[in-house]
Amino acid sequence: MRTGEAADTKRLADRIRLNAVNMVAPHGFGYLGQALSCAELLAALFTQAYRPERDRLICSPGHYIIGVFAVAAELGLLDSASLDTYGRDDSSLEAIGTERSPVVDLVCGSLGQGLSGAAGFALSDQLRGEPDARVFALVSDGELEEGQLWEAAMFAAHRNLRGLVVVLDANDSQVDGPVSSITTIEPIAARWESFGWAAFEVDGHDADAVAGALGAAVAEARPSVVIGRTSTVHGLRCLPPEADGHFIKLPAELARAAVAELEGRLA
Amino acid sequence: MLEPPFATVLKPYGRALVELAREREEIVCLSGDLTRQCEVDLFEQALPDRFINAGMAEANMISIAGALARCGHLPFVHTFGVFATRRPLDQIVNSVAYPNLPVRIVGFMPGVSSPGGPSHQAIEDVALMRALPNMTVIDVADAVEIAQAVRLIADLPGPAYLRLKRGEIPVLFEDDHVLSLDRAQVVRPGDEVALVASGMMLPAALAAAATLATAAVSASVVNVPVIKPLDGATVLDAAAAASAVVTAENHSVIGGLGSAVAEVLAEAGLGRRLRRVGLRDTFAEGAQNAATLFLKYGLGTQTIVDQAWSALGRNDPPPHSLPSSAPPGEYSPV
Repeated sequence: MRTGEAADTKRLADRIRLNAVNMVAPHGFGYLGQALSCAELLAALFTQAYRPERDRLICSPGHYIIGVFAVAAELGLLDSASLDTYGRDDSSLEAIGTERSPVVDLVCGSLGQGLSGAAGFALSDQLRGEPDARVFALVSDGELEEGQLWEAAMFAAHRNLRGLVVVLDANDSQVDGPVSSITTIEPIAARWESFGWAAFEVDGHDADAVAGALGAAVAEARPSVVIGRTSTVHGLRCLPPEADGHFIKLPAELARAAVAELEGRLA
Repeated sequence: MLEPPFATVLKPYGRALVELAREREEIVCLSGDLTRQCEVDLFEQALPDRFINAGMAEANMISIAGALARCGHLPFVHTFGVFATRRPLDQIVNSVAYPNLPVRIVGFMPGVSSPGGPSHQAIEDVALMRALPNMTVIDVADAVEIAQAVRLIADLPGPAYLRLKRGEIPVLFEDDHVLSLDRAQVVRPGDEVALVASGMMLPAALAAAATLATAAVSASVVNVPVIKPLDGATVLDAAAAASAVVTAENHSVIGGLGSAVAEVLAEAGLGRRLRRVGLRDTFAEGAQNAATLFLKYGLGTQTIVDQAWSALGRNDPPPHSLPSSAPPGEYSPV
């Protein structure tokens, strides 16, 4: 889907935001901040780089699956009506991804495991001699605190797993507060580079810049990471400044304001 | 069944895996920097393109194995039992057991077979793996069963944990012995006390039965190579035929074979006095060799005899076990 409305990644990002608001609103709270921060990253990834019929997609932080569902529904990869079941009893669209989650090849609820899974997929491509295969892994910056992620980063570089691309949502948000207040993970790009990866750092809300970085990343002959600097409240001015980015409260009145703001921008 | 002292062989697992992998291209071999120790130097030499050394990074190794299995590979993952289960437990749960993937986790050096201290002794690996949905747990006794286990687990649809002794492996069974993943096996008949053993404790259980026979006590011996799913029917039959049950495992008495047998007896409402021989909720320290640890922590023939004696309600002195006819350290050593 590279024509018409979907090709407009900026517009698609706001459609992701609107879907996420509508998915979270019935519950009154949820993983809205993750969708807000990764909206442009996913919009660019799904329209400019990821080929669903050929590539593999990993959503490492399971609670980001809301963003994947939101974009997939826009692009016809998921029945839009199913978004209404998000987080409800017996739905396969669980709020933290499971083995039943559609769209993705792998989603990990226990953080820090997705890059190993992505490396495993890329290793399989290498063992089978499929040099054109791509593996995209959405990873959050909080996951850089997990040791396993760096085990996987070392492994991927050692095995020269080309075609493996990490899309890193650097939103500086984790459960207890800003990542930077809890653990120093900077300099992010230099850390990946020192592990043998190609690193591209961009404004994660600049959809064109993200698309450009993804294009450069897939052309690399080694594993690569696109670091998007983002915010968990981006694109929704109606949110209060004290909104907890990990788990945003969305009472009915605020949800109505959010829908009105986004629909106004999309009109 | 052969008679002790049992001959020993080297690398029966490594040979069996190479033989099977030559027939089945989907098999890949992962090692966590313990390649020779886990007998898969043979695989690395024979099939280097399908050998992956993941280094000392067990969490990553397990999750990679899960992804390889999703792609149609059949991964066999190798390291010591402690590093195969304790360290990457969350990865085994989420990357392997929950998605029910055919990853084979092979953990060497079980229980107190290592004098390397608690950091190297897998004393709760069976308990950890047994608690995971979808996981098959295997603790085989000898080289004949090991070779057959490799082929049998290859065809399981879900994950398996295979617990293997390192080094010299005894040959207890004749060549025509048939290992089943569904059935435990009564390897010695008897009707007063049932000795239920797995893995390295089978030779000790056999020696204990022979010792009890010298005191005119009839002991059956049940070999339980598959701890999960447990063949409860065979265990119950042996227990029902006797008036007491003694389990023997090179593992903590909490969560392993002894617990599994207790669960089966209790759920069936079969009242039999039960004694569990194994590590009594303790870590094992301070020894130059494994034989000393087996003795020090009560994992020997005499302990099985004493526990059977006590379970039978005997107040007279129990018979003394005969000295092992095998060189110390060769196999279940005491």
